[in-house]
Amino acid sequence: MTTLWDTTGTAVVKALGAERRKAGSVSSGLALTLVVVVEEGGVEEAEQAATRAAAEHPCRLIIVVRRRPGAPEARLDAEVLIGGRLGPGEAAVLRMYGRLALHAESVVLPLLAPDAPVVTWWFGRPPNLIAHDPLGVLADRRVTDVSLADDPLEALHQRAADYAPGDTDLAWTRATSWRALCASAFDSIERPARSAVVTGAPGPTRELVAGWLRAALDVPVESVDAGTDGMSEVRISLDEGDEVCIRRDDARTALLSRTGQPDRRMPLEPRELGDLLAEELRRLDADETYGRALAHATGVTGLSQQPVQRSHVWHDPTEAAEPDPALTTS
Amino acid sequence: MTSPRNPLRSPGDRRLPRVPDPCALVVFGVTGDLARKKLIPAVYDLANRGLLPAGFVLLGFARRDWGDGDFEGLAKQAAQKGARTEFRESTWSRLSESIKFLPGSFDDDHAFDTLAQTLRDLDSTHGTQGNAAFYLSIPPAAFPTVLKQMQRTGMSDNRESGGWRRVVVEKPFGTDLPSSKELNDLVDDVFTAQDVFRIDHYLGKETVQNLLALRFANELFEPIWNAHHVDSVQITMAEDVGIGGRAGFYEKTGAARDVLQNHLLQLLALTAMEEPVGFDAESLRSEKRKVLGALKPPRDLAAYAVRGQYDQGWLAGERVKAYRAEEGVADDSTTETYAAVRLEIETRRWAGVPFYLRTGKRLPRRVTEIGVVFHRAPVLPFTKTDTETLGANQLVVRVQPDEGVTLRFGSKVPGTTMEVRDVAMDFQYGEAFTEASPEAYERLLLDVLLGDASLFPRNEEVEESWRVIDPIEHFWAEQDEQDGAPHLYRAGEWGPKAAEEMLARDGRVWRRP
Repeated sequence: MTTLWDTTGTAVVKALGAERRKAGSVSSGLALTLVVVVEEGGVEEAEQAATRAAAEHPCRLIIVVRRRPGAPEARLDAEVLIGGRLGPGEAAVLRMYGRLALHAESVVLPLLAPDAPVVTWWFGRPPNLIAHDPLGVLADRRVTDVSLADDPLEALHQRAADYAPGDTDLAWTRATSWRALCASAFDSIERPARSAVVTGAPGPTRELVAGWLRAALDVPVESVDAGTDGMSEVRISLDEGDEVCIRRDDARTALLSRTGQPDRRMPLEPRELGDLLAEELRRLDADETYGRALAHATGVTGLSQQPVQRSHVWHDPTEAAEPDPALTTS
Repeated sequence: MTSPRNPLRSPGDRRLPRVPDPCALVVFGVTGDLARKKLIPAVYDLANRGLLPAGFVLLGFARRDWGDGDFEGLAKQAAQKGARTEFRESTWSRLSESIKFLPGSFDDDHAFDTLAQTLRDLDSTHGTQGNAAFYLSIPPAAFPTVLKQMQRTGMSDNRESGGWRRVVVEKPFGTDLPSSKELNDLVDDVFTAQDVFRIDHYLGKETVQNLLALRFANELFEPIWNAHHVDSVQITMAEDVGIGGRAGFYEKTGAARDVLQNHLLQLLALTAMEEPVGFDAESLRSEKRKVLGALKPPRDLAAYAVRGQYDQGWLAGERVKAYRAEEGVADDSTTETYAAVRLEIETRRWAGVPFYLRTGKRLPRRVTEIGVVFHRAPVLPFTKTDTETLGANQLVVRVQPDEGVTLRFGSKVPGTTMEVRDVAMDFQYGEAFTEASPEAYERLLLDVLLGDASLFPRNEEVEESWRVIDPIEHFWAEQDEQDGAPHLYRAGEWGPKAAEEMLARDGRVWRRP
């Protein structure tokens, strides 16, 4: 491990090269670069999740902590390590202070693995406009988490308004196990659906499941609040009064009931942040299903026609009337 | 070169190092940057590795009022700072005995007479047998003066000196075809053509030589090294630094003359040339010449010759200024700090394969690499979504830093769905072989003293290169007259938008090195 205080991006690139030589591996495989944008307080949790994801996807991990963009002195501290606490791959933790925080891409760009896709993950409040953050503009895939926003539902709406193919949100990833149950329940059903009800705590995941059902089944879908934590039930009415219902039974199982058939217990395991992230890294192309679900969840149209490339919009949180939360760090 | 009749040397005996004959190395402009940063450390490294002959003399020549001692101090400092191998006092004290300094300006007849006499004296004191190599580490404008002095004093004459006399010339070799011809005529007039060594230090890099090994020692690559399988080739030389204190030189030169004409075209030649019959200088140089001769400048210069200039921006965490704000640069300078061109080679092997060359300053990272991009596979058994993130196969030769080779190919992502994604297999040169790669100058200097010219371009190659670059320079000069200017790019970006558009027009993208 190399720790560099008050350093430059060039020195970090050199340190990474030196670490690679020291590690002595003649060949290494890299599938992508994962850029993690995080506030100081979240570094440990983000590191754990990223390390877990890195174990599944060989990647170069770059953790960026931006602090005090208003501070007069620009400064960069860096930590470079290979095969250490940040998993088997190459990793760099970059702490940027002062005005440099607004030019984070100048340090990150030379560190990207050659020609490999770039995934940027905001572990914290998602940006208002991804174009405000140069680290989002340079990425091929962008992963946000609206559940960490001050108002998650408003943030989900903002994600739709700001959508570009290649964006996804962890609220959608959390829906995968529910969606898998719904889809497998439908495998043996030939009758068309009439309507559906999604019950759970009000939040982006419930809305995305509802949006997905609306888009896929083309039926009215109702969202109902429940006092539970997270999703609790999906109920789909079919032709001729039949019904399919998936209900959370306990922390690890769900109950699948269907008219005229015995109830079945299915596993519905809670998933850790690292697993969610690993799922996101599995696909590096645009998730069209997410785009459709997001459109139907929020009512924003024309998502698939959005341009794939964003261009950077200059945003200085110290001067803006409404500072973008992703760039406003303490 | 060591005598082929020496019964103690056989080609099969690879343990014996190649050690040159006793000789003197005369460096003109020895107080300059290049001499201090590269040449003197390289001489020390050679001495430390035992590759210099017993009767070796380093002779510095510059316009300073110095004695041998002053120069030795500077040389020691330079060696300590720049040497690759460990600094050993014992090596240095042996080397320092044979370091000499001669003060004088280039138009001073007396100084050159003294130099000629010193060289003759060395024959008896150090047994140099009349052998000497002259390193011209001086601005090209001073070439004619120095060369004429050498001719006048007979220093450059092999017969008169009784041994070999060689000259080493640094780029730039002229500024266009006529000036380069003039320079070549002048040098070849003073020295015999085979004794002229034009240094292109890129060719001294291990990976560049490894490119030849990769291509011609393996069965795997050569069969697919042609237009049937190769879609395009991208050669990049990026620097993160600006122009430093070289504004005066750079304003007149620009990226195309500084880098494209020599380094990039030489890399192109080595990538594209046919198999030479042997690795001797003659065979290698004639193959390179053939490729350069078949090179065609772009027909549509407006579309396929892009120039750029860096604007202010942030690079590697620091704020840097625009080119026009650099000290010594005109406010309205149209000198390019970035150049990207598309060239084609009109041979059967390469017909229809574009070669994209780019170079620039203040780009995000210092990197030189050759990227060979292959055609996409038809991927018939896969659906479109299976291979959505699959790119084309690529073979990338990294020249610097982290010398090595990367191969990119598609691989299945572990999991239950059939999904194919690019993976990179990386071979790092420094790690596969424990002997640290010698510095380029070390290798090239040794080659000069040994008389091995295979890694030095011949004057025909230089002239062919100018033939390609001249039309591009003329086109840009015409643009200047019509108030055109280079495209601006922010420092810390991978070049101007126009360069991206140039590849987008062909349905391609630049690799991110």
